[in-house]
Amino acid sequence: MTTAHSTKNLTSNLTNKAKKRVVVICPGRGTYNKEELGYLQRLHSDKAELIQVIDNFRQQQGQLTISELDAKEQYSMRLHTAGENASALIYGCAIADFQAINKDKYDIVAITGNSMGWYIALAAAGALTPEAAIELINTMGSMMTDGIVGGQMIYPITDDNWLIDHEVVRNIERWLIEVNKKEGCAVYISINLGGYTVFGGNKMGLKALELLLPVVQDRYPMNLFNHAAFHTPLLNDTAIKAQSLLSTDLFNQPQIPLIDGLGKIWQPQSTDVKALYNYTLSTQVVTRYNFSKAIEVAVKEFAPDQLIILGPGSTLGGGVAQSLINQQWLDMSSKSDFIALQKQTPFILAMGLAEQRKLVL
Amino acid sequence: MSDRNQLVRDNFINAVNSNILPTSTIKLTPKDVGLSATDVIDLFETQVISRHLDLQSRIMQKKGQSFYTIGSSGHEGNAAYAKAFRPTDMSFLHYRSGAFMIQRSKQVPGQTPIYDMLLSFAASKDDPTSGGRHKVLGSKALNIPPQTSTIASHLPKAMGAAFSVPLAKRLALSDKLSKNMPEDSLIVCNFGDASSNHSTTQGALNATAWAAYQSIPMPIVYVCEDNGIGISTATPEGWIAANYKDRAGLSYLYCDGLNLLDTYQKAKQAEKIAREQGKPVFLHMRTVRILGHAGSDAEFVYREMKDIEATEFNDPLLHSARILLENNLLAKDDIINIYQEVEQRIAKVAQQVITKAKLENAEEVMASIKPPVLPESVSGQYHKLVNEEQRNALFTHEKHNLNKQQHCAKLLNWALMDLMAENENMVMCGEDIAKKGGVYNVTAKLSQRFGTNRVINTLLDEQSILGLAIGMAHNGFLPIPEIQFLAYAHNAEDQIRGEAATLPFFSNGQFSNAMVIRIAGLAYQKGFGGHFHNDNSFAVFRDIPGLIMACPSNGADAVAMMRTSVKLAREQQRLVIFLEPIALYMTKDLHDEGDGMWTSNYVTPAQDNVDSSIKISTFGEGKTLCIISYGNGYYLSRQAEKILAEQGIECRVIDLRWLAPLDERGIIEQALTCDNILIVDECRQTGSISEALVTLLAEAQTNSDEKMIKTKRITAKDSFIPLGAAAYSVLPSTQQIVDTATALVNKGSK
Repeated sequence: MTTAHSTKNLTSNLTNKAKKRVVVICPGRGTYNKEELGYLQRLHSDKAELIQVIDNFRQQQGQLTISELDAKEQYSMRLHTAGENASALIYGCAIADFQAINKDKYDIVAITGNSMGWYIALAAAGALTPEAAIELINTMGSMMTDGIVGGQMIYPITDDNWLIDHEVVRNIERWLIEVNKKEGCAVYISINLGGYTVFGGNKMGLKALELLLPVVQDRYPMNLFNHAAFHTPLLNDTAIKAQSLLSTDLFNQPQIPLIDGLGKIWQPQSTDVKALYNYTLSTQVVTRYNFSKAIEVAVKEFAPDQLIILGPGSTLGGGVAQSLINQQWLDMSSKSDFIALQKQTPFILAMGLAEQRKLVL
Repeated sequence: MSDRNQLVRDNFINAVNSNILPTSTIKLTPKDVGLSATDVIDLFETQVISRHLDLQSRIMQKKGQSFYTIGSSGHEGNAAYAKAFRPTDMSFLHYRSGAFMIQRSKQVPGQTPIYDMLLSFAASKDDPTSGGRHKVLGSKALNIPPQTSTIASHLPKAMGAAFSVPLAKRLALSDKLSKNMPEDSLIVCNFGDASSNHSTTQGALNATAWAAYQSIPMPIVYVCEDNGIGISTATPEGWIAANYKDRAGLSYLYCDGLNLLDTYQKAKQAEKIAREQGKPVFLHMRTVRILGHAGSDAEFVYREMKDIEATEFNDPLLHSARILLENNLLAKDDIINIYQEVEQRIAKVAQQVITKAKLENAEEVMASIKPPVLPESVSGQYHKLVNEEQRNALFTHEKHNLNKQQHCAKLLNWALMDLMAENENMVMCGEDIAKKGGVYNVTAKLSQRFGTNRVINTLLDEQSILGLAIGMAHNGFLPIPEIQFLAYAHNAEDQIRGEAATLPFFSNGQFSNAMVIRIAGLAYQKGFGGHFHNDNSFAVFRDIPGLIMACPSNGADAVAMMRTSVKLAREQQRLVIFLEPIALYMTKDLHDEGDGMWTSNYVTPAQDNVDSSIKISTFGEGKTLCIISYGNGYYLSRQAEKILAEQGIECRVIDLRWLAPLDERGIIEQALTCDNILIVDECRQTGSISEALVTLLAEAQTNSDEKMIKTKRITAKDSFIPLGAAAYSVLPSTQQIVDTATALVNKGSK
C-alpha cells in the first residue's frame, strides 16, 4: 500500500448518538428453503441493479440466474439446495437485506457470518465488490458440481434451557476419537453453531458417528442435504483449487470491521488483504468454523445494542441466541430469558422474520 | 474524566488536526524494519485501545465502577515488542503493559482483550484471568502468568523460566513440556526504571548473567521501560544505561519506545540474540509516563507543569500518528476516526462490563487459594514406578547399609533418590547440593546419579533459588529447591509469600507452581551455633493461605512425609515447605547412647502406601498428660515421657508433623481425652505455633459444660539464638518439660 487510505465520513457514526450500534450476521447455507421462495421478488424488487450483477455473472457461466431460481413456481430441493445455486441465491437475498437496513437508524459496527456467510460478510463489509463477491461465492458454491466431497451432519449439544451440556460435548469428543480410529473414517467438527455441532466428514465416518450419537428430538443427528465437508481437512484440494481460480485482486480493505470464524477481528485500516485472502480461501475452508466464538467476540468487543441477522430464513437465530446465553450476555442464562428479552426489547433482529424485519428497515 | 485526563484525550485530536506533532531523529521507515503498512496501523490501533482503556478506567473509577487506575499511558510502545515475539514466549509483565497484552491477543484468534481488561478493572468475577480477585495483566491462552508485582518480584521467576526452556531440551523433556513452552521459546519480562533499583531486580539480573557468563543458555529478554520517574522520584539522567550497558553476561540494547519502528527493530534484534543464541538481553526502552503514576496521583504536586506538558506532548500515540502521516499510511481524519471509534466502542463495552457480577462472599474469593487437583492423565505423565533392578543400580553405593537402621539425613537422602528416579520432571536446586551433597549430605550422590541438570548447584542467593524453582514450575517441572538454613529463607520470603503462593489465587487456578521447598532449620545444633544456623522462627510462613508446611521429627516420618509432599505437589499442584530439623539429621539415640531409638529402617517405595493425608502421630496412650510438640520439641518430649512414666505420670505425646494446615481434628481428639495438656514449642513464645494450639484447644472447649483442661506451654524465649552452650538457656529442655509436666499434673491432683 503506497497511498493514504480513503477518509471515512467522520459524521457517519460518531455524531449521531441516537443511532443504534449493531453487528450484522450473515447467514450460511440451508437458509433458503421452501418458505423463502420468492424472497427477492417480494422484498427486493427495488434492488434490480444489485441483483443484476449477480444474474449477469451467472448467465455468463451458463447457470440459472438467481432471479429465475427465486421466481420458480415450486421449491425444489434438488435445484434450490445445490451448492452452485444455493450459494448465489442466499448471497443475493442477504446482500439485498443488508442494503435494506436503515442506516439512519443503525450504525453497523461489525459484520460476521456463519460458514458461507463469511463470504457474504466480506461483501457487506466492502472487502469484495459486488462483482468480486459473486465471482467468489459462485465459484466456491460450484466447487462440488462434479460430486460433493464428504458431507455435514448437525447435532444439538444443549439442554432444554439452551445451555451447553458438557457431558454431551465430552462424549462427542470421545466418539470422534473412536470413529477416526476406524479404517476409512474421517470426521471432524466443522462448525460450532451455538447449541449445535456440525460435523464434517467422509460418508463412512459420518455414518459411523451417526450410529454412536443418541437420537434426540426425533430428528438428530441430521444429515445436511447437499452439503460438503467444508471447514475440514477433507477440503484441502478444494482450497488449493479455489486459490488457483480466484485472485487476490478480488479483495479490498473492508470498510467495516469483520469477525471471522476463528474470532479474529479484521479492522478496516489494518487488514492485510493478502492475509484476508488466505484466511478466506485456505484457512477457513479446511479448519473448523467457530461461529459461536465469532458471536462471543462480536458482543464482547463491540457491545452492540442489537444484532441483525440477514435473511433469507431465520434459522440462525437459535444458534446466535444459544451463543449469547452461554456467554450470559445481557444476563441471559436460559432459553426463557432469551424469549422474555425478545418480547420486551428484541436484541436479535432477524430480517427473515416479518415482524422483526420491519424494525430494521 | 478529570481535567488532565480530558486534556490528554483531547490533545491527541488537536495535535493531529493541527499537525503539530513531536519530532524524532529516527528516520526509519516501516520497510526498513520489516513491517508492512497494515502492521504499523495495527500497532497504532493497539496503542489507541490501550490508551482509551486507561481513560475509561478513570471514568469508571469516578463512578465507583473501577478499582484500579495504574495505566499504560506513555508506555504503549510495548505493543511493538509484543509483535516481535511469539504468543508462546511466556511473558511476565509489569502493570504498564496494556498494549503488549492487546497486541499479543491479536496473535491468538478469538481473544477479547477489551472486554477482559474492563472486567479486570471492575473486579468482576467474569474476569477470565483472576476471576475478579485483582486487576492483573495475564492470560492462560496468551502465556502471560498474571502479576501483581510492584516490586519487580516477578523477575526471579522469569529468570527461572528462561533457564527451564533449554533445560527441558537437555533432559529430552521438551516434547512433553511443549504444551507449556516450545523448545525454542524465549521469555519476556518487563519492568520500570524505578523497579530496576530493587534488590529483586538486581538479584534476578545477576543470576541470569551469572549463568550466561558461564555459557549456560538463558533465552530471555528483559525490557526495562524507562519513563524516568518512579512515582515522584526521578531516575538520575542516564542511570539505566550507565548501570546496565556493560554488565557481564548481558547484551544491552536501547530503543526509543516512543517510536514503534525503532522499538520493533530492536526487539527483533533482541529476539535473535535470545532465541537463536540463547543469550539474555537487557532491552532498555525509553518511554514517558502520562496521566501520573495512578488515578489518585496528583502529579502537579511534585512536577512542574511545563514538564508535565512536555511529557504529554511526547505522547507515543502522537509519535505514531507522525509515523503514519510521514509514511503516507493514513490520513489525519483516518487517524482521528480510529481514535474516536475506539473510544466509543470501549465506552459501550464498559457499560456491559459494569453489570457483571462481583465476588460476593469469602467462599467465592477463596475458591482458588488451592489450585485444582489434576487428573491422573496429567499428574501421572512424568511419574513411573522404578523396578528393583534400577533401584539396585541407584543404591549400589549403599547396598550394605540399606537393611540397617539409619538416621534422618540418610533416610531422607534415600527417599529423594527414589523420588528423583520416579519423577522424571523433578529437579533439585540449591547451594552446594550437587557433588558436595549439601551441608548435611542429604543430597549426597544425587548429582552423580541424576546429573547436574537435575541436581543444580546454584549461586548464593535464596531469592534466585526460589525464583529458579518457581520459573521451572511454570514450565511443568517439579522443583525441589533447597534453602540451606531457615534464616536464609527470610531474605527471600516474598518469593514464596508474594509470588509462588499467590499464583493460583490471582489466576483463578489456571496457573500453578507446585514444588517442595526443603529448608534445613530450627535450633539445637551441637557445636555449630549462632542465630543464622539455628533460627527458630517460621512464623513468616504460618499465615500464607494455601501453603502446606511439613516438619518431620524423625527419619521414618521424613521419608513418608517427603513422599506425601511430592504427591501433593504432583497431583494437587500444592506448594509445600518441608522444614527439616537440622539437629535431628544425625541423631540416632533417644534416651541413652547407643540405644538407636531415633533411627529407622528405610521403607522402600514398593512397601509404602503413600497417601495425601495431613495427620498428626501419637506416641503412648496415657491420659494424665498430653504433650503436644513437633521437631526437636517432640524429641525432647519423648525423652521426658520416659522420665515422667517412671514417676507414674502416664503421657501421650503428639507429634504435629504438619505445621500448616494443622490437623486440628486429630489434635482435639487426642488432647481432650487427657487431664492435662502441655505444649512444647521450640520456637519463640511470641508468634510460635504454641499460640495457635492454645487458641485451638480453648475454642474447642468453649461450648463444653466440663471444666477446661489445664493447659500450659513451654516455648523458647523471645530471643535470638546465641553462640555455644548459651543457646540452651533460651530453648526448652527435657528437664524443663519434666518439671513443668510434674508441676502441672501434681497441681491438679492436690
